[in-house]
Amino acid sequence: MIGDIMTSLWAILPVIVLALWACVLLLVDLWLPKDQQGSQQGESNSPITPLLAALGMLTSAAIVIARIGQPTMGFGGMMMADGFSHFICLLLLASGLVTIGLSHDYMKRLGIARGEYYVLLMFSLSGMMLMSMSADLIMVFLSLELLSIPLYVMAGIATPRPSSEEAALKYFLLGAFASGFLVYGIGLVFGATGSTSLQQIVAVVQSGNYNLALILGGAALIITGLGFKVAIVPFHMWTPDAYQGAPSAVTAFMSVGAKTAGFAALLRVFVLAFPAFSADITPVLWGLAALTMVLGNFAAIAQRNIKRLLAYSSIAHAGYIMMALVPYGQDGLSADSVASALFYLVAYAFTNFAAWAVVIALEQAGEKGLELQDYAGLGRKHPALAAVMAVAMLSFTGVPPTLGFVGKFYLFRTVLEGGHVGLALIGVLTSLVSAFYYLRVIVVMYMQEGEPEARREPWLQAMAYGSAIGVVALSIFSAPLLFLASQAVLKLF
Amino acid sequence: MITVSLIIFLIVAVITLGSALMVVTARNLVHAALWLVVALFGVAILFGLLQAGFLAVVQVVIYIGAIVILIIFAIMLTQRNALEIGSRFNENWGWALGISALVFAALVWAIVSWPGFHVQAQPLDARFDSVAELGKALVASNGYALPFELASVLLLAALIGAIVIAWERKPEER
Repeated sequence: MIGDIMTSLWAILPVIVLALWACVLLLVDLWLPKDQQGSQQGESNSPITPLLAALGMLTSAAIVIARIGQPTMGFGGMMMADGFSHFICLLLLASGLVTIGLSHDYMKRLGIARGEYYVLLMFSLSGMMLMSMSADLIMVFLSLELLSIPLYVMAGIATPRPSSEEAALKYFLLGAFASGFLVYGIGLVFGATGSTSLQQIVAVVQSGNYNLALILGGAALIITGLGFKVAIVPFHMWTPDAYQGAPSAVTAFMSVGAKTAGFAALLRVFVLAFPAFSADITPVLWGLAALTMVLGNFAAIAQRNIKRLLAYSSIAHAGYIMMALVPYGQDGLSADSVASALFYLVAYAFTNFAAWAVVIALEQAGEKGLELQDYAGLGRKHPALAAVMAVAMLSFTGVPPTLGFVGKFYLFRTVLEGGHVGLALIGVLTSLVSAFYYLRVIVVMYMQEGEPEARREPWLQAMAYGSAIGVVALSIFSAPLLFLASQAVLKLF
Repeated sequence: MITVSLIIFLIVAVITLGSALMVVTARNLVHAALWLVVALFGVAILFGLLQAGFLAVVQVVIYIGAIVILIIFAIMLTQRNALEIGSRFNENWGWALGISALVFAALVWAIVSWPGFHVQAQPLDARFDSVAELGKALVASNGYALPFELASVLLLAALIGAIVIAWERKPEER
């Protein structure tokens, strides 16, 4: 009995460390000396708080790294700490660390620096990590809530700025609505099979004693609920406003973290529990992926605000990742499907952080410096930042030698192996369309005259250069990363 | 075959559905909240009819005793003009009604067409202690201990978030 509890706790140790660290940090933050500089609204936080938060994430990451190659299971099969979750957890923790680097100076500069911000970040991160381990639909739901609720608050942390409040409210209302869909879907799957555990569901499906109509309805509602979180069309309505209104550092975390966790849950639930129904589910995923890529890319063309542009770009990239999910049920392809999705998530994370780091560097108080025109002349005035942005834009487009190119290559290969030539064609064509608006940013930076002002903050610059170098270097040496991703197979114990 | 429990079920079901309808159509928010009490009470009786006495009590204590009271507090503490609001319907209500009816019909069809639906469930053994089993399930490590604990972390995060958002920052407290 005690041994059982210990193995269970051992399985989710990285999350326990992170969540406890967050609780303790909340108290410690009260006693730390406050840094009064740069605070405008009576807000202040200690410079030590982000460092402590980063230390917590590093500890958690160290535990995850130490356990690579030792899959464990806990809580009666409810949680699975396997290669898949290790990969996702490390990506998430790295995103959390980058977010701290992006946030620290930015929040202070905008006068919204608060210790609770880092605590909420850590809570959200623990929810995301739990989501990647969940092998039970109840845990998928609860960890989705744990990741979302702090994100709603973080989006609105610039209150009383109206755009930030709008972002938080829109994200909250639609997020709560989406959670309703997810719970309903879980309910239907439970009604159809008599269990929420993925293992049990698989066993019931194999025995044939289930209600097909209910399980398909449940799967559709689960796609809807998680689709809201990863922002696929037609569940993307909140994305542009929430991404634009939220503080830029929060948006960067939101776009990478929530997408990674959402796709982790989609992959685990569908690859493990629903492969038997792929004949019915694959066409739906096909349509959603195609719709998302087309609408996301075409809507992005009209955007003049860089945050909105990146929001639509993030929708479009959700469509690309969704492509990997389409052949999830075909024999021998589910491993490729998972590996290419994971690889693309890494590519997206690096590229996205590089782009957002530049956006944060150029953003001025009062939401200034966010129009495309404000980037004119960046190539001459701040060549390094312009180079980072150019690398990010090329990687988003999928031009070699960037991680985005390698990621798209594996995605298209998976889709073609699955025999979905039409979908791959849509992917290639929409990538061409996306080149138009991504390259426009580069044109504006290098070919137009202007006097952009950028901040020189050491951490921010480190994150910008680090992400951009990662995008290029990892594309040249992509074999180890792909090997890691292909090790992250999903299987039942 | 008409039994006493069937008659009780039908009466309770009608009351529950009727008051649920009143919740969404009432013009006064406080009235809507009070109708919600009736609807939730009906659900509690349904739990009781299903021999889930503990859940019936929990339903009353938590949903009526805590959540509805919280809703009423929230209504009272926010702006006054929320008490009387105009039409409860926007121009899309026809569409919404159509889609809801369609979904309802599909669900009913899905459930009724399943053979398991027509199997009569066996009543529980009188010695079966459902409360004890529920308690064990909530703390057993291979039961629901983790979701139970996670819910408390979730509530803590929500609590911190609510304070961060709602805390009024006074300039003089700099």
